[in-house]
Amino acid sequence: MTPEHFSEQLPEQLREQLGLGPDKVYAVIGEFSEPEDLVAAGRRIRQMGYTKLDAMSPFPVHGIDDAIGVPSSRLGWIVIFFSVLGALTALGLIYWVGVVSYPLVIGGKPLFDFSYSIPVTFELTILFTAFATFLGMWGINGLPRLYHPSFNYSQFHRASDDRFLLVIEAADPKFDPKASAEHLRGVGASSVEVVEG
Amino acid sequence: MSDHQHTTQGTTHGAAHGAAVDSYQLELSRWNAGRNALALAALIGIIGCLVGYASNPEHFFLSYTVAFAYTTFIGLGAFFFVMVQYLTGSAWSVTMRRIMENLMMTLPIGLLLFVPIIIGMKYIYPWMNPQVVAASEALRAKSGFLSQNFFILRGVVYFALWSLWVGSIYRQSTKQDAERSIRQMHIASKWSAPGLFLAVVVGSLAAFDWLMSLEPTWYSTIFGLVTLAGGSLSFFSVLTLVCLGFRKVGVLKNTITQEHYHDLGKWMFTLTAFYTYVAFSQYMLIWYANLPEETIWYRHRMMGDWLPVSLAMPFLRFLIPFFVLLCRGAKRSLGVITFIAIWSLVVEYIDLYWVVMPVRYKAGPEFHLFWLDLSALLTTVSICGLMFWSRFRAHKMIPVGDLRLEQSLHFENA
Repeated sequence: MTPEHFSEQLPEQLREQLGLGPDKVYAVIGEFSEPEDLVAAGRRIRQMGYTKLDAMSPFPVHGIDDAIGVPSSRLGWIVIFFSVLGALTALGLIYWVGVVSYPLVIGGKPLFDFSYSIPVTFELTILFTAFATFLGMWGINGLPRLYHPSFNYSQFHRASDDRFLLVIEAADPKFDPKASAEHLRGVGASSVEVVEG
Repeated sequence: MSDHQHTTQGTTHGAAHGAAVDSYQLELSRWNAGRNALALAALIGIIGCLVGYASNPEHFFLSYTVAFAYTTFIGLGAFFFVMVQYLTGSAWSVTMRRIMENLMMTLPIGLLLFVPIIIGMKYIYPWMNPQVVAASEALRAKSGFLSQNFFILRGVVYFALWSLWVGSIYRQSTKQDAERSIRQMHIASKWSAPGLFLAVVVGSLAAFDWLMSLEPTWYSTIFGLVTLAGGSLSFFSVLTLVCLGFRKVGVLKNTITQEHYHDLGKWMFTLTAFYTYVAFSQYMLIWYANLPEETIWYRHRMMGDWLPVSLAMPFLRFLIPFFVLLCRGAKRSLGVITFIAIWSLVVEYIDLYWVVMPVRYKAGPEFHLFWLDLSALLTTVSICGLMFWSRFRAHKMIPVGDLRLEQSLHFENA
């Protein structure tokens, strides 16, 4: 038997140390054995009015973003901002060096010209873009992180093997531990647990 | 989930996931209508060309050079990217591959379209004039390569090699429709690897012969790549428009989905950037080295009314299409990619016109002769179009025997 409140079996003191308890519920999580079932269940759960859903799977599942309503990422906006910043930095640098700081005519070329500035501008744009993409992704995902409450789900390790997890987060306005767990079972999830942490 | 054996039986498919059924054979009435329209266009174009040839052969042959390069490099783009699909084992493109292959099969007719170039050589190429050659030491030194017979021989050899390759690959593809074996895929891949050399290296030589030698003392090693990049972008634009045209009349509507159009959008986006990269590389190195025999090409394009065309190029070729296609949503919008496909095809024509015409017209484009340019374009496009269209009569519209077809039909972008 899988206990719905795993922590209820633990002594109070230990619960406190682990950061567990019915007042620190993170989510209800249920598992599916087929990716298609995950997508179908996700869609039905979302139709019930839940908005804060998550899914965990061993490999990318087509259509899950749409099914559980993952909003489009903010990453693109961060990236375009830094791309433009990179281009402006390069042009500004070349202009400042060539025209303001140390004007020197080389090979009869103008002190500043777009023609020879483009390669450096291109490279610096790419550099800024790459860093913004990588670090922005880490920032949005809250990485690096060594702990996540979903680790407390007893079948969590199988999300990287052969199970597909559907998560209804406690932050959802419609969330209720008992009712949400019932809803998950209703759409075919097994091993439904209320996860604390 | 898996009734592959059933779904590849007849001309229809779609039972697997309850998808609607598409016919993979173009209806004869539609085929006839397309052929008649193309034949009429060819007739009008040829009449226009004949009138142009009789009234103004000097201009006609230059117009024809632009039109000939336009269709040939689209064919080469198709040739290159069909081989890339075989070599990479792509699944996403399988539902569109037969249409790509049919576009590739327009290359052999290029040998016939090359005949007017041979006839008009003395109007087109300055190095055909003995006085021009005698006056320039560089041209005297080049006269072994830039001679009438060798030029014709090279052109014939290019088309012969391309025809052999595209024919061999196409034969395997259509054979697979019936045999449904992996063997044809392997043979096509074996042709494709050396074929890349034929498309890019021989394609570069063709660009040097037909376009760069219009200014015979000028040279740029990357010129061939610039031309091929433009042709490849045009190829994806044509492919997009053909697929969308079929979609509009309900053909292959469930076979070529938004996911496939999204990928075509990505390719147009990529090639827009690639074209800009190589074209700018050519410009910047010439600008920086500042050698008279190299800068003269751009100098000719900065004179008179050519200057505004040159200044518009960065906008037409890069800034507008790049930023229009930048967002994922734009690449997934059929309206946006239709616009970009038409835009790219128009700009490719302006580009080739800008490459060819300043050789003769120093002061700017000759707009009053535009009817002649359009006649030449109509002729080569409709003749290549007829070759393209004729393939739909005998063969299926998609490679029904391809082992990745099922995967391609249900392909989704992550």
